[in-house]
Amino acid sequence: MAHREAGVRETERANARVFLIGLCVFLALMLGFPTLANLWYSFSNVSIYDLAGTAFVGFANYVQAVGNPNMWAALGFSLKFAVICTVLEVGLGLAMVFILHPILTKRPWLTGILMLPMMVSPALMGVMYRLILNEFTGIVPAYLSMMGLPINLLGRNWIYETVIAIEVLQWTPFAFLIMLTARQSVAGELEEAAAVDGATGAKFGRLIALPVILPSIIIVAFIRFIDSFRVFDHIFVLTGGGPGNETTSISIYIYKLFFTQSKIGEAVAVSVMLLIASLALLYAALRLAVRRAPA
Amino acid sequence: MMRTSRLIAAAGAAVLSAALSTAALADITILAWPGGPAEAALRKVVDKYNETSDSKAELLYFSRDNFFDKMLADAAAGSKEFDVMLTATYNVGKYAPFMVPINDLITDDVMKVFPQSAIDSQAYEGKVYGIPTDLSLHFLYYRTDLIDELLSNDDWKAKYGEISEKYMGTKMEPKKPDDWTWDDFMASALFFTQSINPDSPVRYGTVLQMKNLLFNIMIWQGSAASYGGNWMDADGNITVDSDAYRKALDIFKKITEWEATPGDSNSYEYAEANGAFGTGQVAFFIQWSAAYAEFVNADDYPAIAGKFDITHEPAGSEGPKTHFHALGLGINKASDKQDEAKAFLAFLASQDAMSLYAKEGGQPPVVEDIIKAVAGDRPDMLKMGEHTGKYGIVMNGSTAAPALGVYSNMAENFTAYWNGALDQDTAIANVVAYMKEAYGK
Amino acid sequence: MIVTRRTPLSRLLHALRWAAFILIAFILNLPILATIITSFKTAGDINTSPPVWLFAPTLGNYEEVLFTGNTDLVSYIINSILIAAGGTLLAMVLTFPAAYAMVRYEVGKTWLLPLITNVRALPLIIYAIPIYLMFQFVGLLDTIPGLALIACIINIPVALVLFVGFIQEIPEEMDSAAKIDGAGKWGILWHVILPLARPIIFAVLVLSFVYSWNEFLFGLILTTKNAVPVTVGATFFVTSYGVKWGATAAAMTLGIVPPMILGLFAYPYIGKSMLAGALKG
Repeated sequence: MAHREAGVRETERANARVFLIGLCVFLALMLGFPTLANLWYSFSNVSIYDLAGTAFVGFANYVQAVGNPNMWAALGFSLKFAVICTVLEVGLGLAMVFILHPILTKRPWLTGILMLPMMVSPALMGVMYRLILNEFTGIVPAYLSMMGLPINLLGRNWIYETVIAIEVLQWTPFAFLIMLTARQSVAGELEEAAAVDGATGAKFGRLIALPVILPSIIIVAFIRFIDSFRVFDHIFVLTGGGPGNETTSISIYIYKLFFTQSKIGEAVAVSVMLLIASLALLYAALRLAVRRAPA
Repeated sequence: MMRTSRLIAAAGAAVLSAALSTAALADITILAWPGGPAEAALRKVVDKYNETSDSKAELLYFSRDNFFDKMLADAAAGSKEFDVMLTATYNVGKYAPFMVPINDLITDDVMKVFPQSAIDSQAYEGKVYGIPTDLSLHFLYYRTDLIDELLSNDDWKAKYGEISEKYMGTKMEPKKPDDWTWDDFMASALFFTQSINPDSPVRYGTVLQMKNLLFNIMIWQGSAASYGGNWMDADGNITVDSDAYRKALDIFKKITEWEATPGDSNSYEYAEANGAFGTGQVAFFIQWSAAYAEFVNADDYPAIAGKFDITHEPAGSEGPKTHFHALGLGINKASDKQDEAKAFLAFLASQDAMSLYAKEGGQPPVVEDIIKAVAGDRPDMLKMGEHTGKYGIVMNGSTAAPALGVYSNMAENFTAYWNGALDQDTAIANVVAYMKEAYGK
Repeated sequence: MIVTRRTPLSRLLHALRWAAFILIAFILNLPILATIITSFKTAGDINTSPPVWLFAPTLGNYEEVLFTGNTDLVSYIINSILIAAGGTLLAMVLTFPAAYAMVRYEVGKTWLLPLITNVRALPLIIYAIPIYLMFQFVGLLDTIPGLALIACIINIPVALVLFVGFIQEIPEEMDSAAKIDGAGKWGILWHVILPLARPIIFAVLVLSFVYSWNEFLFGLILTTKNAVPVTVGATFFVTSYGVKWGATAAAMTLGIVPPMILGLFAYPYIGKSMLAGALKG
């Protein structure tokens, strides 16, 4: 690139920063200040009786946070939960794409019906399941028992599977929608070409459609992983994180430290560590992506 | 601050109300415990107050699930959104720094309305922070039709003996719920569970509430107390690691293992337990006193209408015990309307207000004379007063600032034990360690 | 389109696809369906085990939550609409120009974009107390603008990523042409990019609205009475004296209808823009 051109570009870039001002000011106010406050909290003896956190206590909050086995358990739960949910959502979504694509292409409005769950607030979704999974008044156990299946889906033996199932049932439509859109984008021309070549439906799916959908699968998996990792609402409503701590996600763990135990400093220390870890991960992922894609 | 926020929300209205509020007595907002007959009753009392007072009172409710979390954030930040706020026996110590003592309101007239114990339930370190409004304790709710049959049917009696011998090691005789020990409670739970006794007309003997929730520990701890268990001794030493606690923990553990309680009891709280008993699928259970007013409504609970009764919790070695606490209303320290808030509380503590409150469905811990006067409308209140006096216990240290955290910690560890996620020693050790740290022992 | 011959096998396959669709649609929507049905039951019908399908429907629950009850569900719904609309519009106004600058001038793309994306990965609860104090200080507590700001935080990452992805798709020649005609940066943004971006704007609009609508935790902590959103208001019927299932179901039904209607019509845009935005962004 010529020097002069680069110089022009530099001034243009400087000017273009104006476009970012609004966003940056907003973020500085709404997230910057709270982040600084949190940083201070994580190093101070903050308590509900002293929200200014007047004394500096060094890394005490961090030491306490790391030393608490429950934090590691919650972190483990969230990671495992996110991985399982992501795999299931992508897998089921993909299966749905291949099974339903032919009928939905002809009657697109039907897709909307499958999208409804993801429009519902997860907190309310939790309350709904509390209603329908109850052994006595819920409709699900009533039918499961007719079929001779286990009925206590919120019982200690099934609770883990149940909270996963609820997450998966609510968000598989999301995975499905993105992958369906990707699938439909290859429909027209490619399909005709393939048909001319004599490829049958199944073969077409395997050989041609799948590679085209692949990037969308990665994206869906990424988004769903992030969202499942910070799961809070429906589990909190259904189990309160129990029995014991068995369904305590890291978000629920932080919430409880914060509000129920009033250990504000420790709760904030956990979240600061989480913030750093996720920044590092994202940075690493981006570096990886940049290296793979020739600039 | 308040005005700024109102300006942004609705500028015109704010200016108007600000102008008015400087002239006359300001209106106050009351944050109260949500739901049920108590809410309905308090609305009646507030209506009455508003008829006569220049300062109008308005009620405010949060949802139950996160009530204390929300109130904590508000209190800690010095919120002025409410002038009168909720107090409870189990967290009066925690919220005391955010409230104003109202000892001067407790006049001789007030002492004619409330017994000393009720006033004490709102006190922390000698200062009174609230006017008690609602007493909560636990009853054993049982199905009269089933128990009558059990006591009269010889086949059932024989089966009862057989089952108790098989599961509990001794051949037992059915008894009246009034005379139950925890062993009778367990044996009856076995007997009425269909998977154990196919002849049982109901699916489960009992229903336990074992969601990881602090209120559920309150329900359970009557059993620990009935064996002499306590949070700490007179010197403040933590005494949770005791035979009494182990025995009481085992009661829930065994019933869970026998599946004499629904398999998803680990997700149960008040509503689910009521649903199980209210649909007629459970023979008896320990539940909050508030449920009585619900069950008597035959339209809402047709399956058990006219077929249930209440008595005290089963006895341990120290006789029957029940946890009890009182909710009350006190003054938010950050409020600008201290005088108006006090005026309302003074009204609330009057005999007229409390009688009205009781009649409309509230559960005020008032003196016997007042209870008797409203007994026609509220038969359950007689038993509530009687039980609190005879069986009520307040664990040592359970009104201090860390109490709410202790309940939560117990909920976390004990529900883990009942559901097989922790062994008993670890669960108890965790709780003891937490309490030692919380109380600085 | 190639018309395939209808062999018996393909007909069977087709029928199976339909069966699968009906089954999947039923399972996915079961909680919603059951809630709607419950909202028309009396307490006596709800407290019946096993649950009944046939019952005399009642509007009593709706009457209770809308008119006779002690909670003001109508104003909760209005609050939710205002909060979601405010948070959505603000997020779009802030992120659209920023996305443009990031794509065309590569400012902030290396640090700001990842940082903002990261916001989505965080449990936002950790900001509860600082934001509470901040809102209290400036008087935003329990106000609709306050909650709209929170909704905006939630929407910014998604909106930004989608806008960046879409603008990248627009050939730079379009800008150059406008530049030659003497249009400034704002002019290009306003007259060239914005009209082209209509579908993505619609998608972001709907998605942000739904996300804002469904936010629960801040709605709970930052409001007391003036700005309570319907997701929080619906849980007011879950009380210490038992869950009033009928009233709760009615309130929830009312609370989920607006985002569901939006979703029903807008999903194709969401799918396309999510795909494009995520792939390119």
